[in-house]
Order: sequence, then structure tokens, then C-alpha cells
Amino acid sequence: MTTIDRTTAPPPGPPRPYHFPHITRTTLANGLRVLVAENHNAPIVSLRTLIRSGADHDVAELAGLASITADLLDEGAGSRDAVKLAEDIGILGGAVATGADWDASYISLDVLSRNIEPMIEIFADVTRRASLDSPSLERVRSERLMEILQQKDEAAIIAAKRFASILYGTGAYGNSVIGNAESVARISVADVRRFYTQHYLPNNTSIVVAGDITPEAALRLIEGAFGDWQPGTEPPRPTVTPNPVESSRIYLIDRPTAVQSEIRVGHIGVPRSCEDYFPLSVMNAILGGVFNSRINLNLRERHGYTYGARSQFSFRRQAGPFVVAAPVRNEVTRESVHEILEELRHIRVGEVDDHELNDVKSYLMGVFPATVQSASDVAGRLVDMELYGLPENYFDMYRESINAIDKPTIARVAHKYIDPDRALIVIVGNAGQIRESLGGFGYPIHELDIEGGAVA
Amino acid sequence: MLNLTEYELGNGLRVVLNEDHSAPLVAVNLWYHVGSKNERPGRTGFAHLFEHMLFSGSEHVGNNEHFRYIQSVGGVLNGTTFFDRTNYFETLPSNYLALGLWLESDRMGFFLPALTQEKLDIQREVVKEERRQRYDNVPYGTAFERQLRLAYAPDYSYHWPTIGSMQDLEAASLDDVREFFTTWYRPDNCVLTIVGDFAPDEAKRLVEQYFGDIQPGGSFPEFDLERRPLEGEQREVFTTPVQLPRIYRLYHLPKMGDPAWIHADLLASVLATDKASRFDRALMHDKQIAQDVAAYILPTEATGMLLMQATAKEGVAIADLEAALDAEIERVVTGGITDDELTRAQNRAEIEYAHQIENYDSRADLIGMLATYFGDPKIVHTWLEPYRNATANDLAEVARQYLVPANRVTSIFQPEGA
Repeated sequence: MTTIDRTTAPPPGPPRPYHFPHITRTTLANGLRVLVAENHNAPIVSLRTLIRSGADHDVAELAGLASITADLLDEGAGSRDAVKLAEDIGILGGAVATGADWDASYISLDVLSRNIEPMIEIFADVTRRASLDSPSLERVRSERLMEILQQKDEAAIIAAKRFASILYGTGAYGNSVIGNAESVARISVADVRRFYTQHYLPNNTSIVVAGDITPEAALRLIEGAFGDWQPGTEPPRPTVTPNPVESSRIYLIDRPTAVQSEIRVGHIGVPRSCEDYFPLSVMNAILGGVFNSRINLNLRERHGYTYGARSQFSFRRQAGPFVVAAPVRNEVTRESVHEILEELRHIRVGEVDDHELNDVKSYLMGVFPATVQSASDVAGRLVDMELYGLPENYFDMYRESINAIDKPTIARVAHKYIDPDRALIVIVGNAGQIRESLGGFGYPIHELDIEGGAVA
Repeated sequence: MLNLTEYELGNGLRVVLNEDHSAPLVAVNLWYHVGSKNERPGRTGFAHLFEHMLFSGSEHVGNNEHFRYIQSVGGVLNGTTFFDRTNYFETLPSNYLALGLWLESDRMGFFLPALTQEKLDIQREVVKEERRQRYDNVPYGTAFERQLRLAYAPDYSYHWPTIGSMQDLEAASLDDVREFFTTWYRPDNCVLTIVGDFAPDEAKRLVEQYFGDIQPGGSFPEFDLERRPLEGEQREVFTTPVQLPRIYRLYHLPKMGDPAWIHADLLASVLATDKASRFDRALMHDKQIAQDVAAYILPTEATGMLLMQATAKEGVAIADLEAALDAEIERVVTGGITDDELTRAQNRAEIEYAHQIENYDSRADLIGMLATYFGDPKIVHTWLEPYRNATANDLAEVARQYLVPANRVTSIFQPEGA
């Protein structure tokens, strides 16, 4: 046996090429966009419906409407009620899920590929012919109200809700996607049907098919099941208007039983279409986007304050938030906020080491194939492509776009998009234990209840 | 059929290779046959704390460098600890196979020289935060811990969860780390699985180079894995800051792989998976007294468990929910299940299996598990057969035999002020 040198990392072999699966695209006469990608790793086909309208369309009084509508899709469709749908999907070896986020509504149906033909009709029913009846709405509403009730005990959710509400008010991105107790109580069958009629239109929809199927077969099935779907007027996009934040401030939400503080520090971010998307992704990976990023190494590996701390730009169709999130034990809340702010100041000055930049660039360039192994992964990428209008060669030019980023670019975007002096600092924790220590920052402290009301 | 090669190094390291060139990736996966069941009372949580330590560097790899080496070439990685095993895994661009093997062999063979008190102290704090974040600061977070305490005798190794207790984490010493490593982290207690885009001869050469000279250990400590049944149903009700009452059930089963365990897996699917399953339909759709329901089994090696939970809607008495839950179980016991229900459960098992196989990382993990628990990675080819061969009566029989009060643990969470 030859002796090996253990003191240095072995060099790589020659890289093997990677290509994203070929994408076949077409647009039906009714405006429905169809994307197909073959992937035969498993006998599974992933079907996705992307409705390009989500909770961004909810008015404050009816917050939760888009997601209630999505929840109702598999509560009955075509000639089947909820139970019959589940039975027939199950007998064909399928699993269905529906939902909405800020930007869109989704249906996903994974099925054993041998049963794709009979499953297409059910998939089309759930997309096009949802029953949306009153008993189903009442059942879904009741579950939703309980879910909202349960979230009163979820510190991480309270923190996210308060942060969004302070940043965006009651407009789009400011309410909760799932709504609140008052708005959900208000939603009627007529509201749901109006949303469905206005938004679930072929010309507001993309269908993605990925997995164990040929493009020819997929296109034939989709044309057959969706070709006669009648188009309508494409809905206008609502606009998002964040509240201005002139200087940093702290919002403290008391949770007397808390053994950790859920900390959120951040401000407005940018839309997915931002021209600095790639440099921001690299900058954020250095700052807090991966395990070995500055914020996690600082809070977790240097100080042992947390199990994990992260920063993230929520890239949506309009400007989502930039947020640093960290759950830390009560006693180190002030120190953790301090370290987070210091990391924001540090990166904003623009000092980045070569090795930091090279590490995250090669991570982002290299990790892509590992994240698109399954049919479902591939389908998810195509959905993103459609939702954000990414160019056809996006996945092939991705590496070059990352590779081109240099230190001056990182410095420029950090300075432009990170602002610790205009940050919202939201803390859900044991106020009695942490209140006093937070005074040292010199920022105004607003105490709120978990619903966002001011506490005297 | 997967292209599998299985062999053993001179030091007892078992190696499984699965060559597959459909993506330019390679998954490297190590199953060490040690978990929280190999802990002693007073040192609970140690196997998992140790897993954290194994990311904090070894003789030739600096603190946090393990993560950095892998991420900086576009790899993804992690490790997890469970009752019976600890796994470590990375998926890399395939031209970096040697890097993965270098890193894994360094911490298998050369971990102790890099160990320091400071690293232990930091990871102890991180794990305590993990416990706070995932158990103590979330509603119902201690449910599983409470069920285990009721289900198993205090000296039985499933009595405590892998996260362990704060007190025991506090007590863990550097000597404990050294002893644990020496006892369990050795080639003859490990299965190394490599899945993906590699040349088998090259992979074998690299494995021999990096792992061949690591010494095996002595004998393994004995653990009594025979569960001693407790007398009758174990039950507790307690009050806690949650909004809705919830009932948790644990039913004892034979260990993983036993026919009854397979049938219980299918039965759990019949009971609670989709809107047509028994609990969902009766409790959430028809009666609308439950907010959520679940039933599932765990892949445990020493003894099996089927877990259930159901949350009562506001205003529903937990006793009524429990009675409705038991009525559904009774319906299976007396009336059995339909062939359609069986087919749906079998389809679901097939989809889950297909999902596990389609990713290199989850496939490697499945192969590593089968090699570790059953001594034969080739079971991956026949894993679904007992699922396909199961009959409706097999599932009803499991319900009759195991879903009985004397065989169960019940924990009830009641909201404060209820």
C-alpha cells in the first residue's frame, strides 16, 4: 500500500461536465405556458401548477384569501369530494399538495409514472374545476383559525409576523400569508370564487412536468387536459410599499415562558429581478447565508450563543425583506444583537478576504447539481424560472454570473443594500430578563404584544 | 437493480460501492453503529454532543475546516444522531471523492490529537441551544421525551431522547469524549457507502489508502437490548403553555424489519396520511374534532414503536378526541381494512422508496442503514417485497395484536387554565 500524505487536502480530479436537463417549452393557444424536463432517476413524474398570483393580492380585510383558496383546491374538484379525491390519487400512487405564498399559488402532484395518464384528469380537475363549496370552506376556515391560535406559542413565527408587519404595514407582504383571526373569519365563498375566477386562468398559469416522461407524451397530456381552458383578463400586479425606517429601533415582544430570544435584525431588501441578484447572493453567503458564514461562525462557533444564525434576502417579485435570524439563550440576547450589528457594519465597510470570496463563489457554483437530483427538484427550478421570468439559458449562465463577481462588487452591494443604522430589531423573548440590557444600544425600544399592539 | 459492490477492509471497515453516472456527483456516507442507546444514565445526550465534536477538526483538519473544505468545492454535508446510529455524509462534485475520503478518514483515525476543552465547551453550549430551540422553547417540544420516559424502564437505552438532558450535557468531560471515541469510532464499527459517479477501481484504491491503516478497537461493551415490558398502560396528563390539547400515543412493536414492523408501517399509512385515511377522515373531515392527526413508525433497531398524535380543536374535550381515536382503532381491529386501503398504503411505500433512491445522498443513507442493521446492503433491492406481499389481514392482525391498551403509552398535553 502506498503511503499517502495526510497533511494536505488531496487535489481534485478533472471536473465532470454538468448540464441541466433539456427544457421543452410551449405556450398553448389559451396562453397556458408548459415546461417539460426529462429525468429518469426514478419512476416518478412531478406535476406542478404555478398560478402567478398569491397573497400579494390579499387586501388587509381579507388577508389569507389566496392561501384559503389554495387549501380548498383538493377539498373537492370535478365530480369528487375531498375523500374521493384522496382515494383516487392514492390508488394511482400519487401525493398532492396545494398552497400559496406571497407571489404565487401552487399545486404539486407527484405520481408513479405508470399511472400518469389517468392522473392528468385529476390534476386538471384540482387546477381548473375546484368545487369551492361552503361546507369545505367552513372546515378549512376552522382549521385555519386553530392554526392561527396555535401560532401564539411559536416564537419564531411571532417574530417573523411582527417584523413583516412593522416593515410593510397592512399592505402586501405585511400581513401573514395565512391571514389573521378577523380576516379569516370574514372570508366568504363568494370571495374565494372571485379570487379563483380572477386568478386561476390559463394565461396566468404555468404547468411544469418533470421526471420519467418524454416531452411528447407530456405535451400531449397537458394539451388534452388543459387545451380547452378558457382564458380571461390577466390580473394587474399589486404594488408593495414598505414603511420608511429612518433610524434603528428595537421592538420587544414579551413571552414570559421563553428560554430563548428569537432575534430578527433587518430592513427592506430587493426584488428577485434586482440587477445585483448574483453579487447579493455571494455577499449574503459570506455574511450569513451558509454554515461557515461570518454570522454563524461568530454566534455559534466562537461564542456558543445559538444552534444556528442566518441572514437572508427574501427575493420575491417585489422587494422582500433582508433579515438576520438567531434564536439565542436569554442571557446573551444583548451580546447577540451587538455581534449581529457588528457583522453588518463590518461587511458594509466592504472588507472581504480572498479566501472568503473564493469559498462562497465555488460553493454557489459547485452546489447546483447536488440540489437538482430528483424530478421534484427539477420541477421546483422550472417553477422558479417561470415565476421570476428567468431567461432560458439561466441555469447554464449561472456559473459564469457567479464567477464574474469580484471584491469591489461585493463592497459596492454591501454598502448599497446593508444598513445597520436603519434596522428593525425585533426580539421575541422573556422581557423581564432582557429588557434592561437592551437599553445600552441607545435605540428606542417599543414593547408590543404578540399581535403587534403597543404595551403600556 | 443497482450496481452494488460490497467488501471489507483488513481492519473491519465495511465498504459498499454503488456506481451510477447519471449525475457528476458522489455521495460519501458513513454509518457508525453507535447512538444514544449506547449512552449510560448520567451521560445522556453524549452521542449527539460527540457528533458535534467530530465537526470541530482532527489532526490534519482545523476547527470548522471540515465544513469549509466541503462547502468551498460545492459540497453539502451534515451528520445526525439517533438511538442506534450516528451518520455523517457529504455529497460532492464527483472529482472531489478523494477530499471526502481524506476528511472522513482523518476524523475516524486522527480525531483525538485535535481535541481541546475549549472546543468541547463551545459545542456543549451549541447543543444546549439546540435543545432549547427544538425542545424547550416550542409548544409540545418535550412530548417525545415524555413518551420515552413512560415507555421504557430507566435503565433501558431508549428511556431518553438523543438530545439528552441539560444536566448530563453539563457533566460531559473531555475524558468522556476520549473514551467514547476510542470505544465506538473505529473502522470495525462503521459502514462506508459511496454512491455516484466514480470508477470502482479508483474508489477502492482511495478507500484503502485513506482508511486501510486505521486500527480497529478491542471488544464492544455489552448492552442489554431486550425490552422488559412495563405493567399495563403507562399514562400521564400534564398542563403546559399550549393553546390546544393534544394526545400522544406510543405502541410497542417488534424491531425494524420484523414482518409486524413492516405491516405496522403500512397500517400507519392507512390510519393517517391523506384526507382519505382513517383518522383524517373520521376526526378531521367527518367529526371535525381534530386539528391534526399523525401515525408513523420509527426505524429503530432494538425494539419498535408506532407513534400517534392528535390535537383537539378548541372547545373539544381531549377525552372525546381520545374516545374517537380509539373507536377508529377498534374499527380496524374488528372490521379490518379494505384492499383499496392496502393498495394505497403500498403505493405510498413505493413512492417513498423511489424518492429515497432517486437522490444519491438518501440512497447512500438507505444502503448504509441496511448494511448496519441487517448486515446486507443488497436488501435495498428487495426492501419493498414484504410491503408488496402484505395482505389486508396482515395489517388488521397487527392492529389486533399491538394496538391494545396494555401495549401503549399515552401522554396528554392540556393547556394552562383548561
